[in-house]
Amino acid sequence: MKKLALFLIILIGVTVSCTKDFEDYNTDTKRATEVPGNFVFANAIKALGDQEASTNVNLNVWKLFAQYWTETTYTDESNYDIVNRNIASLLFRTYYRDILSDLKEARRLIESEVVAGEAATVAKENRLHIITIVENYCYHSLVDMFGDIPYSEALDIDNISPKYDDAFEVYKSLLTSTKTATDALNAAHGSFDEGDLYLHGDVAMWKKFGNTFIVRMAINLADVDNALAKSYIEGAYAGGFEFGEDVHLAYPGGTNSNPLFQDLVQSGRNDFVPANTIVDIMNNLNDPRRDDYFEINGDAYTGGLYGYSNPFSQFSHIADEIQEETYPMVIMDYTELAFYLAEAAARGYSVGGSAEDHYKNGIKSSILHWGGTEQDFNDYYAQAAVTYAAGSWKEKIGTQAWLAYYVRGFVGYTSWRRLDFPTLNIPEAPETPDGQVPKRFTYPINEQTLNAANYTAAAAAIGGDEMNTKLFWDKN
Amino acid sequence: MRKFTLFIAFLMFLGMQVFAQEKTINGTVTGKDDGAAIPGVQIIVKGTTIGTTTDMQGKYRLTVPSNAQVLVFRFVGMKTLEVAIGAQTVINAELESEVMSIEGVVVTALGISREKKSLGYATQQVSGDDVNRVKGDNFINSLSGKVSGVQVKANGNMGGSTNVVIRGASSITGNNQALFVVDGVPLNNDNTNNTGQLTGRNGYDYGNAAADINPNDIESINVLKGAAATALYGSRAANGVVIITTKKGTKQAPGKKALGVNFSSNITTGMYDKSTFPKYQQNYGAGYGASFYSGEAGMEGFEYYADIDGDGVTDFNVPTYEDASMGQKFDPNIMVYQYDAFYPESPNYMKKTPWVAGADGPAYLLQNTWAYTNSIDITGGGENSTFRLSYTNFDQTGLMPNSSLKRNSFLFNGSQNLTKDLTVSASANYISTEGKGRNSTGYSDNIMSSFRQWMQMNVDYKQQHDLFFASDKNITWNPVAYDNLAPAYWDNPYWVRYKNYETDKRDRIIGYLQADWKATDYLTFMGRWSIDTYTELQEERKAIGSGAGEFGVGRPDVTSGYSRFDRTFTETNFDFMARFYKNIAKDLNLTAVLGTNIRRNHIDQVFASTDGGLIVPYLYSLGNSVNPNRAPEERYNKVGVNGVYGSVSFGYKDFLFLDGTIRRDQSSTLPEDNNTYIYPAVSGSFIFSNLLESSAIQLGKLRLGYAQVGNDAPWGSIKDVYTQNTSFSGTALFSLPNTKNNSDLKPERTNSMEAGLEMQFLNKRLGFDLAFYKENIVDQIMPVAVSFATGYSGKYVNAGEMENKGVELMVYGTPVMSKDFRWDITLNWAQNKNTVVSLAEGVENLQLAALQGGVTINARKGEPYGTIQGTDYLYDSVSGKRIVLANGYYARTTTSDKILGNVNPDWTGGLLNKFTYKNWAFSFLVDVQQGGSIFSLDLYYGMATGLYEETDFINDNGVPVRDPIRYVNDDPEQGYAANSGGLILDGVLADGTVNTRRVAGDDYRVFGYSRNPNSRFVYDASYVKLREVVLTYSLPKTLLDKTFIRGASLSLVGSNLWIISKELPHADPEASQSSGNFQGWQSGVMPTTRNIGFTLNLNF
Repeated sequence: MKKLALFLIILIGVTVSCTKDFEDYNTDTKRATEVPGNFVFANAIKALGDQEASTNVNLNVWKLFAQYWTETTYTDESNYDIVNRNIASLLFRTYYRDILSDLKEARRLIESEVVAGEAATVAKENRLHIITIVENYCYHSLVDMFGDIPYSEALDIDNISPKYDDAFEVYKSLLTSTKTATDALNAAHGSFDEGDLYLHGDVAMWKKFGNTFIVRMAINLADVDNALAKSYIEGAYAGGFEFGEDVHLAYPGGTNSNPLFQDLVQSGRNDFVPANTIVDIMNNLNDPRRDDYFEINGDAYTGGLYGYSNPFSQFSHIADEIQEETYPMVIMDYTELAFYLAEAAARGYSVGGSAEDHYKNGIKSSILHWGGTEQDFNDYYAQAAVTYAAGSWKEKIGTQAWLAYYVRGFVGYTSWRRLDFPTLNIPEAPETPDGQVPKRFTYPINEQTLNAANYTAAAAAIGGDEMNTKLFWDKN
Repeated sequence: MRKFTLFIAFLMFLGMQVFAQEKTINGTVTGKDDGAAIPGVQIIVKGTTIGTTTDMQGKYRLTVPSNAQVLVFRFVGMKTLEVAIGAQTVINAELESEVMSIEGVVVTALGISREKKSLGYATQQVSGDDVNRVKGDNFINSLSGKVSGVQVKANGNMGGSTNVVIRGASSITGNNQALFVVDGVPLNNDNTNNTGQLTGRNGYDYGNAAADINPNDIESINVLKGAAATALYGSRAANGVVIITTKKGTKQAPGKKALGVNFSSNITTGMYDKSTFPKYQQNYGAGYGASFYSGEAGMEGFEYYADIDGDGVTDFNVPTYEDASMGQKFDPNIMVYQYDAFYPESPNYMKKTPWVAGADGPAYLLQNTWAYTNSIDITGGGENSTFRLSYTNFDQTGLMPNSSLKRNSFLFNGSQNLTKDLTVSASANYISTEGKGRNSTGYSDNIMSSFRQWMQMNVDYKQQHDLFFASDKNITWNPVAYDNLAPAYWDNPYWVRYKNYETDKRDRIIGYLQADWKATDYLTFMGRWSIDTYTELQEERKAIGSGAGEFGVGRPDVTSGYSRFDRTFTETNFDFMARFYKNIAKDLNLTAVLGTNIRRNHIDQVFASTDGGLIVPYLYSLGNSVNPNRAPEERYNKVGVNGVYGSVSFGYKDFLFLDGTIRRDQSSTLPEDNNTYIYPAVSGSFIFSNLLESSAIQLGKLRLGYAQVGNDAPWGSIKDVYTQNTSFSGTALFSLPNTKNNSDLKPERTNSMEAGLEMQFLNKRLGFDLAFYKENIVDQIMPVAVSFATGYSGKYVNAGEMENKGVELMVYGTPVMSKDFRWDITLNWAQNKNTVVSLAEGVENLQLAALQGGVTINARKGEPYGTIQGTDYLYDSVSGKRIVLANGYYARTTTSDKILGNVNPDWTGGLLNKFTYKNWAFSFLVDVQQGGSIFSLDLYYGMATGLYEETDFINDNGVPVRDPIRYVNDDPEQGYAANSGGLILDGVLADGTVNTRRVAGDDYRVFGYSRNPNSRFVYDASYVKLREVVLTYSLPKTLLDKTFIRGASLSLVGSNLWIISKELPHADPEASQSSGNFQGWQSGVMPTTRNIGFTLNLNF
């Protein structure tokens, strides 16, 4: 029995003494537990740039929906099949999990920074305002994709069933919050010293971004709440981008190449050709940007029939420049603002110039951006089909804005939804219930299974979770 | 009991003796109870293979060497009897019924040998020979069909991982593989395949680490199935344990020493099973149908846009870009530019060639496999020591060219009695495995997925072979265009095999040091330190000149690259155990065990790769990278578990046994303030036949067990850390992780109950073992999927419950037993019903994997684990028929959450028949899986691309289905012409009227993924296979008497010879990309290999 007692003592001794280092065992020595908020912000806006640039059929089909490009052999997405690849789920994943969640975390980390002195204090405030603007930019994109979205209850891991908020209410909240943050930006001091991959901490430019963004959001409301749209646009336009200005993500290439390079070049695949929709319109207008948008096919620019099979070798290709690894992804630019202001003026808002002035600026800005000359613009604008005409302002502005937004599929697609121009083609076998071009994305299947009650309520609130349900602002 | 074990071991081994002279012994064997003669009794000279059996009158005659000491008499159901020979020449033996030690001794948890009769839970034993007959790259495959309730799924990859699940999946997102324990040393069985590979992207199956075990070293395998059996091992054994006992040397009588040498040599060759390879249509070549290209009448399937030969006239050429065979109908009179006209290295450069099917199809690539297994071992023993030294060399080539797997295994074990009461033993096993050119798996960059999904029937693979070897270049059938020879999707398969091969190497040491001290008659102590450690290196290559594909860290598309995965694994266990044995009263004995187990696991791994391609051709180093390398994926885990356990066993009059165990674990993976958990188990057995005293029943045993097992969390699921992405222009990028960790985790728990009945009749010529069990795993620790709107994709929770209920039956019998002939049958059958009882609150479904094709593998509440979900047909509520849209194609559900099947089989079974006739032995094993479902991505795409014979048939009009749709007078208004091609899908329109619309048969939409729901490609995974056939001839002793050889046998071994029936066309339903939780989905799987081997065994 003595032996047994001794054994017991040893046994207890051994097991107790061996647990001291358990805490260390559970520490991940290869991953950071504390990081500066700036780097988390950087990750978020990199992810946002990547998402907007991508033409991966799992993530970004807007270049197809806008009918800038079409597919060659596998035409499912150009025929609006978004279920097969769960594209909506991946969009939720990208915006909420990969961008908004990191923005929220960046905010938390930056808020917890202890800073001293006015410059640092203002810079900290500026950083938080910039985060707000980018967050709002993302929510705005989500609303314009889906309609009602999780907003007020989003990004809370302790609430795994976030409710969906009314899209119009979200818009109003975004406008208020963006205006507050933009107005509060203090250009007298800096913001991010590192982490701001778009503007390298240039607060004045972020202010312009904020104001341009307010115009972008407000113009969508023109048909649903004209007074609200008018007041925001008139209050913000003057603080927006000036001619030639933009905010973009400059890809350094290599490991951080433009996703288009990865999708179009590195993949070795030939999945996309320019769609006949845009090529035909540009051919008719003798558009000087054609050689910047496309590669010539023999002696002509030929687009693939939208939504039909198109042998790659028989059509014009996407311009080589766009496929370069360092091709910068424009997030928002003056061209866009100019077209919004043209539209605002046409709607009777007071935006410091006539509809035609802004319209001309938009076209000129785009042509110059793509490497054209003033002469190119003058020749182009002189054509009757291009010259502004108040009687057909929707068609003129709609078509030219859409042409100018090339590569930025979602902006182009949204412009089409608001202005209904140009006329888009119907693909071979559209998967939409009405056989027409979709008006929105259906909600992720994940939401049907993981957040069912809220999903069902949202689907009912917007008038059915279908691709042909129009967004609240899409009245015409 | 230890002695008994040694004795059994002794019988298995051969001590070397010198045979100078001989004598003949004869006699009669009778039963002690009734005095009747017993035919078929086995008589051998102890320590040799010299032996005979009694005839129908129970008589025998045996010539023995003059130095033979002891005769051993063995008969089923009788106690084995040993008789010293001495000077006798007539030895009559009386055998006693083996009531007292009916089932022998088995090794249970923690290496404790127990009498099987005393166990209140199910175990099933397999002999080492049973897993060593078929020589393959993974001995685990040999368990298939041999143990009831053990589902073994070999996937067909060379050196690939085998899925071993006992009594169904118990963990929703964790590991469900059985634990392997060799001589008390838990063996790592990790599958290091990365998530991309597991979920069907590209990659290689590097196998499961337990495959390192050398089957030639295995003495016996005992499978512990339920929690009651494994409770002492703790949480890690929750999925059942496969306990392996290796061969050892045997002790000899005082003053004696013995040495035995065994040599075994095997050569096995295999060829692919045609029923598991596609049967192709042979009438149409490259392209996507007539409407696709601008060709003219009769040439619609060709491209027509360029002047290839420069004569000023536009030429027709094959659409080489398209990896499909929905194109132009073959016609030897059509001369056309094909891919081989565009490469200057080709003999057909700038030549038109006839439009015909490739003379040598894809099967040309497949080679017969060859495997050589050579083993030698030396065993020995003296009065105080034993040893065994073995070496096995395994060398295999696979179905794919330039593939090989080599394994060298050295094992030494020995024991020495230091004093009368103190024995030390040690074992060291070194295993080196080298793989080269494993076959790719998954969707992309996998030759088999080209063969099964994306291919042109006009391609001649012998020509691909010849062009590659003549040019050393990637001359592929799939260039982008005549003027752009970059590979569109697929490389020349020979380029892939000879340039883009992987290599891998694992060096492993498994060993232990053990001391056993017999302190008193009733108290023994054991201390053991054991280690399992290996380093592994997996190198993948993509040569400059290859087509683009996902590769390396972050899986970007690149056209060349190099990646390496370095992993070091170490597990150490320190066990200290005291055992107490005493008769505490008349007829009542007590065994008690008290022990501790200190386990430490350590994983250190790095995955790094070049980025953006290689600079210098064929230089495979991380430095040879176009872009700076992406941030490597590093992982450094340490896990510690300290366990204390105790057990008490009471035995009353050898017919009533009661066991109780309790274990307390403290795990480092749980939150510090709540990292301890205690779990008990009780089991008992009642041998009622001892009370019945019926001569009809030799054994009747009831058993009952209840056990609870706790389980800890996966490493790194408590504290949050940031994910770091590759820096952007010098700015670091950090992101929140995708899964929210949980600092409040508590241990998960398994509650299990089992009951069993074992019986033997007819003088033990018939017996069965029946087990029922129910197991509930609650508070599962799992990353439950949450709405992305929470900012995460998952969240670690303690939630959910899974249940397994099942029946296992083993029936064995000896229908015929005579002097020369014996027939044994063993039947294993098991049914497991798994139910996901609940998930986290409000969660109805947990997606385990989202796989290509839009199907998902899920744990869905109320359903068995592993539901396959996707899109389905829509059915008319009145007629029940499929609904067809106005366009003539089937309507599909708009959501992908329809349950299409489940990966779990309804039941599995194995039927083994063994026949022995004199020196001949013949056995065959039929292995059955009934039910279970599998989604075939191969058919999902391959039917669309028109590869399979099912896409080329004569339609209802008697014309080829791929003929164009024709109308009366070419006017659609007048209806279809009588000779119209295409087909009318069987179904009704939304209004209930029968569909009459014809759809094109020469269009990729009709048969494949594009216009059919996922459910079209879900198949029944049932099979019946002739798994194993063995014919053995043992050379008669009379032939060997004059030689130094003591035993010799020759065997002819066949494995996977015949799939007797299956539902899945063109592939083996067992084939998959890897072991693990993502089953039920196939893409580019290997065909099954039919193997025939020849083995020579020699004992000296």
